[in-house]
Amino acid sequence: MKRRYFLKFIGAGGIGTGLGMLFGQAIKPPGAKLIPYLIPPEDVIPGLANYYASLCTQCPAGCGVLVKIMDGRAKKVEGNPLHPVSGGKLCVRGQAGLQALYNPDRVQGPMRRKGARGSTSFEPISWEEAIGEVTTRLNDLSAKGESDKLYFLTPELGGHLGKLADDFMAGYGSSNTIKYDLFDYRNLRYANRASMGIKAIPHYDIENTKYLLSFGADFASTWLSPVGMSRGYGEMRQGGHTGRGKFVQVEPRLSLTAANADEWVPAKPGTEAVLALAIAKEIVDSGHYKGSDLKTWKKLLSPFGLSYASEVTDVDKKRIRHIAKEFMSTRPSLAVGGEGISGYSNGVSGLVAVNILNHVAGNLGIKGGVQANSNDLFGGNDADTVGAGIQTLINAAKESKVGLLFHYNNNPAFTTPGSAKAADALKNVPFIVSFSSFLDETTALSDIILPSHTSFEDWGDDFTNPAPGFQVATIMQPVVSSVYKTRSLGDIFIGIGKAVGGTAKAKMPNDTFATHLKASWKRLYAKDKGMSASSFTFETFWRETLARGGWWNEKSAKKRKLSVSTRSVARHVSKEPAKFEGESSKYPLYLLPYAQAGHLDGRGANIPWLQELPDPITSVVWDSWVEINPKTAKRLGVKMGDMAEIESPFGKVLSPVYVYEGIRPDTVAIPIGQVHKLYGRYAEKRGANPLEILPSTVDTRTEVYALNSTRVRIAKVSRPGDLVKMDVYTDELGRGIVQTVPTGGQFKKSSHH
Amino acid sequence: MSGILTKLKDKLQSYRVPGYRTKFEYKWTMVVDLDRCNGCEACVVACYAENNLPVVGKRDCDISRRFSWIRIERYIEGEYPDVKVKFIPIMCQHCDAAPCELGCPVYATYHNQDGLNVQVYNRCVGTFTCATYCTYDVRRFNWFTYKWDSPLEQQLNPDVTVREMGVMEKCTFCIQRIRVAKDTAKDEGRKVTDGDVQTACMQSCPTDAITFGDLNDPNSKVSKLAKSPRRYRLLEELNTDPSVIYLKRVMDEKKGHGSSHG
Ligand code: SF4
Ligand code: SF4
Ligand code: SF4
Repeated sequence: MKRRYFLKFIGAGGIGTGLGMLFGQAIKPPGAKLIPYLIPPEDVIPGLANYYASLCTQCPAGCGVLVKIMDGRAKKVEGNPLHPVSGGKLCVRGQAGLQALYNPDRVQGPMRRKGARGSTSFEPISWEEAIGEVTTRLNDLSAKGESDKLYFLTPELGGHLGKLADDFMAGYGSSNTIKYDLFDYRNLRYANRASMGIKAIPHYDIENTKYLLSFGADFASTWLSPVGMSRGYGEMRQGGHTGRGKFVQVEPRLSLTAANADEWVPAKPGTEAVLALAIAKEIVDSGHYKGSDLKTWKKLLSPFGLSYASEVTDVDKKRIRHIAKEFMSTRPSLAVGGEGISGYSNGVSGLVAVNILNHVAGNLGIKGGVQANSNDLFGGNDADTVGAGIQTLINAAKESKVGLLFHYNNNPAFTTPGSAKAADALKNVPFIVSFSSFLDETTALSDIILPSHTSFEDWGDDFTNPAPGFQVATIMQPVVSSVYKTRSLGDIFIGIGKAVGGTAKAKMPNDTFATHLKASWKRLYAKDKGMSASSFTFETFWRETLARGGWWNEKSAKKRKLSVSTRSVARHVSKEPAKFEGESSKYPLYLLPYAQAGHLDGRGANIPWLQELPDPITSVVWDSWVEINPKTAKRLGVKMGDMAEIESPFGKVLSPVYVYEGIRPDTVAIPIGQVHKLYGRYAEKRGANPLEILPSTVDTRTEVYALNSTRVRIAKVSRPGDLVKMDVYTDELGRGIVQTVPTGGQFKKSSHH
Repeated sequence: MSGILTKLKDKLQSYRVPGYRTKFEYKWTMVVDLDRCNGCEACVVACYAENNLPVVGKRDCDISRRFSWIRIERYIEGEYPDVKVKFIPIMCQHCDAAPCELGCPVYATYHNQDGLNVQVYNRCVGTFTCATYCTYDVRRFNWFTYKWDSPLEQQLNPDVTVREMGVMEKCTFCIQRIRVAKDTAKDEGRKVTDGDVQTACMQSCPTDAITFGDLNDPNSKVSKLAKSPRRYRLLEELNTDPSVIYLKRVMDEKKGHGSSHG
């Protein structure tokens, strides 16, 4: 059952209009300046806390948050209890967002490069100078008729900020916006579009499912929407509805998520798609599937017989059959596919296989299965399912086709595989403008830095993707005044656009991003019946929306049929498992680089709370490690904490060894996120970065790097390691610390909430 | 003289009668459902943020000086592929018969009227006795006066003291939040009702594994959950009478997980 919250909104009323809105009430803005105590603003009582609704930007999930403000300072972030995704909850990164805001290593104002590129020698300049310099560069480029040589490299920008940037680029005359994030679900979006014809990421209804089969989706820590999915997970296990849901995880390494599964299926790396299709074949052959296209499915799936699948995947025939039986007979069931199945050069095919499985089992478009999301409200996320990717930019830069690069927040010099040589390519760009707030590896390569606000200082909005089955729009509002001399990225674009003139200027109708955002929402309000019906005037609507944290309407959920046709997926189905770099004779071990809860793609590494947070599985702090099965470790002669050299055909890294029973003997795993060369005092020079030894192989359909596609070899290094683990015992020593009751007994469920 | 002593002794002993807390207004209790908890550690970071816990760095972590008032213990059992990993959040158990309280020579740690095990920072002289007596290893000592790299200190919660060198500390059940709830209730002339107090860890927990409330209120969520057949308390055989109740994880211990036929 969904928890209901009854919060009274003080509507309209002449209490005053301002920039921001207090959570649940319409009162004055959070200090546009630090509080002048002579005349305290009416909503500020020294010593008492106010809560403002805003948006978490520590990952793309888009959780709504409440920020506790006292005396003009942000003290604590909580989930917004009204928000459909976060429901009042947050993950580790969401909690730690405050240490990004108050990070001592932020770029404190505009700077111009002084020394050689990458030398990190910058001198402070004024905002006027900075905007002036960028304008000159832009004008020089367009005077040469080379406007299209402007590239903008950015992660997916939420909502109207993304549109504003698009408008600027179009107005200036460039179509080269490159979206990149190490984990940005392009494969997933591509696969869903190809197989089901949907653009927005659907809602995977973990909460209401009775049988969850996950192919390498680490949703407890990083995948897709960790808070939303973990909320669903808790309810699936012990929520109000009857029967405790079962959970099976397929992946070569027992991740945090797999640690919670009832069964762990350590299939051989690269064969996850074969396993999914073998299960699908069992289901189709059993007569469970009743579609009129049964014959074509039988034909398409015919190569995935049990014997073949079992041999390839290293999973027992009986076990495959058993999973298939449970998956189809438990209603509703749900299959999801994460990095563990999409991290190969045929990653899209793996995710298509998961969709096929859901289709034949009858899980599409149902409660507890996969539900379509619409994004009619905004359309932003729909339009750009998969545009040009990072590899396009790297190639263009190498070929000197990039005349000017705008760069924001995704640090490709760190987050791309070493052999992609992104940093080298970027050095080939004549002039780089960075809008990042931190001096990371990529920002250090720039010629000028125009640092933007972090999320708690800025305006913005986000149209949640994936939404929970109905449309959700979250508003980001400044909750504190800016800590340093940074600016809103929207304001920077408007400033540059106006200075450049011409169409770019014409596309910037408002003077500030704050007014632009409000004007844009006024248009949404006029267009959307639900919004206009909710309040008499836009002003009231806007105040209420800010106070609430955004706009969502559970009733707007439209039931939509979903299906997969053999015709649409045939070309994505292949019998072959994924390919790996490195001959198995020379490089006998599969390498699994994985996103760690605290650091995601490395962005959390400059947050002290997250560095000192023990990894949930290994309990290691302030470091990274290589996980090795005890049998393999014995063979290699390495022990817990020893240093080892991990070598792929593309390079080697040094890392301390963590001996772990929860990993296949032919696989080793290294978390991503550590060993920053730059990125502030907390992040620099610790651990090993597995990305350095990865091939630049991509799934050519999406330009997504195939992170799991190389093999390595490992050798002991005679150098003392300095792994620091927080655990004392890995064994309970019979003390009955974590007590259990068997599944299937009378203890299935307790009453709760 | 002896009259006062007898009175004091009686008073102290009344604290030692099992179940004495039902006589008081509130009996703060936490229930942790291990079948919900997925080990994500959001509660740990939430507690750092709420309670001004310092970060000590890698070297000090190595010599057990990490501050976390709540930790997720993780156990790995079995051999590949039959591996089981289990999690349990452990914070101060606010024992009714608290071993830590017996040892303190200056009564810096004692039981308050709500049955909370509290720590008076400016009374603590740092003998470390309580930490040695604690059954659950939840007490943390300030070996130094820790600093926050500016401007990180702007985040510090003014509702919670920043501790100094020589002082012992541990989970308080977010007593500052209990205070606010009690004050508000008092202003409104009522008792604290269920849901008024959310501890920081509970508030953040995405799986809703943690529930907090008053066990003296028969209708509170904790009272209902405490009746679960899955209930147990940590190392209960030691008779510390903890205020934290765990609900057992539903899991097949013997076989399952990686076994070849599920
Ligand atoms: S999942 Fe975590 S990081 Fe992502 S938006 Fe939610 S709270 Fe923020
Ligand atoms: S109750 Fe409060 S002090 Fe105790 S562990 Fe939870 S957040 Fe920390
Ligand atoms: S936040 Fe909740 S689910 Fe996560 S570790 Fe803590 S108790 Fe467990």
